[in-house]
Amino acid sequence: MRFFPLLLATLALAQPVAVPGWVRLVPSVVKDTAAYLTLENRGKTPLRLVGAETKVAERISLHQDHREHRGGQVVLGMRPLPYVDIPPRSKVEFRPGKYHLMLEGLKRPLKAGEKVELTLRFADGTRLKVILPVEMR
Amino acid sequence: MKGKLLVPVLAVLALVGLAYWLLPKGSHSFYGTKLLNPKPVDFLLQSPSGPVRLGEMRGKLVLIFFGYVHCPDVCPTTMLALKRAYEALSPEEQNRVQVVFISVDPERDTPEIADQYAKGFHPRFLGLTGSPETIQEVARSLGVYYQKTQYRGPGEYLVDHTATTFVVLEGKLVLLFSPDKVEETQRVVADLRALL
Repeated sequence: MRFFPLLLATLALAQPVAVPGWVRLVPSVVKDTAAYLTLENRGKTPLRLVGAETKVAERISLHQDHREHRGGQVVLGMRPLPYVDIPPRSKVEFRPGKYHLMLEGLKRPLKAGEKVELTLRFADGTRLKVILPVEMR
Repeated sequence: MKGKLLVPVLAVLALVGLAYWLLPKGSHSFYGTKLLNPKPVDFLLQSPSGPVRLGEMRGKLVLIFFGYVHCPDVCPTTMLALKRAYEALSPEEQNRVQVVFISVDPERDTPEIADQYAKGFHPRFLGLTGSPETIQEVARSLGVYYQKTQYRGPGEYLVDHTATTFVVLEGKLVLLFSPDKVEETQRVVADLRALL
């Protein structure tokens, strides 16, 4: 019985909450796209996103935008990340120009308005299912 | 007391009105970066239906963005911004504007792929590419930097690239939009209208 409160405490430690964003509808000639959402850690311990999966793509990788200045102009790119940390009681926004989940090798062209299911994997073994609409934005 | 104030107040209002009326009309303060010395530019690149020369688009305002197809975050963000701006124009204005996507990844993006990509955003957009040497030359003429990165193997790499939108009028580079500025559709549209 004395383990019961401890168990509850463990469950409350890392609590990922996903606020859905969208999966970007890209021209069908492209086999890669990006997914956006906001991840919130409502727990008291850090949360580490280590990967994700979806049935519609070969794999999902985590990316952060890379920005530098060359000749007075903005040069943009992206860099893969092995993980993304979400500190306790904070949020990380996956949005254009910041972080994105890159859906690589789409198995079929996506359609505007359809829903795509992603399973997010965290370092502590937590899995979180997210359903995102496909939108051209 | 009220009567004494009325005359000076009216006089000030009249002066303000006169000053406003005297302001030069038609002067537009550009949101994008206006080039003080418009730079002549030209190129010959490949479309699926044959070569396309920038110089042949005279009479049109040409908006050029460099990118690559395997780019799901940066490039669509600007291409969607250009789509929003283009769609905010009247059909008559649209006839005088051409949006051009130039691939800096000619190894993977053929003229067909580049054009299908551009047309995926708007059927009237144009996608172009060329030989690696030609792309290098065109990029240099516009001050565009691009570099392969995160190389994992042939066909498996990312590309960093200048994300500026270049506006060319009558064969001259006249205006630049940074990737942040191009997002402000209404202000971009106002700039384009001032040039049309």
